[in-house]
Amino acid sequence: MSDRAGPDFEMSGRVVARHALRRAARNASALVGGLVLLAILVVALAAPLLAPHDPYAHDLSRRLLPPVFHAGYDPAHPLGTDGFGRDYLSRLIYGAQVSLLIGASVMLISAIIGTSLGLVAGYFGGRTDQVIMFIINTRLALPVFLVAMAVVVVLGASLWGTIITLGLFLWDRFAVVVRSATQQIASQDYVTAAKSIGCSHGAILLREILPNVLNVVVVVGTIEMAYAILLEAALSFLGFGVQEPTPSWGLMLAQARQYLFFDPWLLYIPGAALFLVVLCINLFGDGLRDLLGQGEDA
Amino acid sequence: MLGFIAKRLASALLTLLLISVLTFSLAHLAGDPAIAVAGKEASADEIAQIRAYYGFDRPVVVQYLSWCAKALVGDFGMSYHYQQPVADMLAARLPITLTLGVAALVFALILSLPLGVIAALHRGSMVDRFCLFLAVVGQAMPTFWLALLMIVFFSLTLQWLPVSGNDSWQYFVMPTVALGYFATPALMRLTRAGMIDALESDYIRTAWAKGLRPASVLFKHALRNVMIPIVSISAVQLGAMLAGSIVVEQIFALQGIGWLGYDATVRSDLPVVQAITLIIAAFYVLLTLLADLINAALDPRIRIA
Repeated sequence: MSDRAGPDFEMSGRVVARHALRRAARNASALVGGLVLLAILVVALAAPLLAPHDPYAHDLSRRLLPPVFHAGYDPAHPLGTDGFGRDYLSRLIYGAQVSLLIGASVMLISAIIGTSLGLVAGYFGGRTDQVIMFIINTRLALPVFLVAMAVVVVLGASLWGTIITLGLFLWDRFAVVVRSATQQIASQDYVTAAKSIGCSHGAILLREILPNVLNVVVVVGTIEMAYAILLEAALSFLGFGVQEPTPSWGLMLAQARQYLFFDPWLLYIPGAALFLVVLCINLFGDGLRDLLGQGEDA
Repeated sequence: MLGFIAKRLASALLTLLLISVLTFSLAHLAGDPAIAVAGKEASADEIAQIRAYYGFDRPVVVQYLSWCAKALVGDFGMSYHYQQPVADMLAARLPITLTLGVAALVFALILSLPLGVIAALHRGSMVDRFCLFLAVVGQAMPTFWLALLMIVFFSLTLQWLPVSGNDSWQYFVMPTVALGYFATPALMRLTRAGMIDALESDYIRTAWAKGLRPASVLFKHALRNVMIPIVSISAVQLGAMLAGSIVVEQIFALQGIGWLGYDATVRSDLPVVQAITLIIAAFYVLLTLLADLINAALDPRIRIA
């Protein structure tokens, strides 16, 4: 859609300049997104060094202390404490570990499933393609959230239960996008050449096609990682994801619900963190899409 | 066209069949259903009685076939927890979720169509960049956080809207916004991209050259062609909204299908979970089927391919 040149009268210098400017601005926001994401990753990895308190330590004499931006805060707890008197900043920092771990693991599992299905469907075509398309359509028709809740009940609600469940559900976009990319590549001369010198299907898929679809996999990967983080938070929020006392942002939001009236900041902080992480991943992903030339609607 | 319809119908039915198998097996993977109904403290005798009463002692294939046969005529069995026919429970809840889904879709379209058209008309300008920025921000906003923020501001602080329930239209305002805004970025981007494509095309150049009024060029010629992808994405989005209304319904205690699905999962009320999964999947399959047929009717190239 974007690589087609517009009519001649559109390609004036002003339009070209404007286009370049937009690309630069997009890359700048991608850079900012990537840097903030990197900072959050570093904070998550260095959580034991950075967290001022034990995120699991209860102190009922110091419960519901307000954060810095409220009067009467305690300097020992910059973001206050939750209903159990646990340091909110420490829980927020450890919560970043949970969110990023889940986002990355789910993305990896679903990328492997989706890419394999997409490669096979796109390369072999015919009956194989029809069967895989049918599997994809069935997956799309399943109400992810409800079925994920039910599967978590079966597997047991835990960090890894959540990761496996979401990984088994979020592969559809990988499969669809890799399939169409593979279809285009499979008709290229170098693939025909590889076939004619007697390379096996497996070798062609792994050595000729896979490297060439990796850029779409990476772009879809950012979208799915953001989606996985949002879904985990929502599942944990309803009690079907990560369980107490593990600090998950979704779980922190669930607990903030009982204090909405008097202590709404308990709601603002983890929600803002969740929003920021997803926003940064999306900005970074948009930049990658531009850079790897995937057009606007990859 | 008839061949196309037949092929699409067959694949839709096959999809539903596979989903019924998946839903059924999920319930049976969850452990012995007789124990789930009887509770953990039940004696072996009670469990045996329940097993016979619900027919759990029959071979799994027989159980599946009888479940399917009954589901086809709208009988989804009895709820383990409420001891009521599941079909009656669904019938009572479905209108609420359908109202919410349609309202949310309308909200999303009202917001995204004008923004998409404006962004396309002023491509590359500040307005366009602002719309794209809104889309990126909107995509990152967690639904349930937005829902809770609205409760804090509009219900607790300003006291404009009621927190939870489903007694009058006021109860639907915040759930509609919470559910609908999530579809807005995708619809807006699609409208924008479609309009840009259309505006660059030869037939629009011809329309301008004929000296037609701008409103006529934009709405009768350009937007009309953009509507094809929008209709099909809207259908898919509506299906996704029916499936995604669980969190929103749970937060606002709007007692539709999503709320029931949450309640049933918490209580391990398997017949209810199965029925809701199947109904939502059926809606999705039906909506995508409709979208495909509408597309095929509007664009002959699709039904030949």
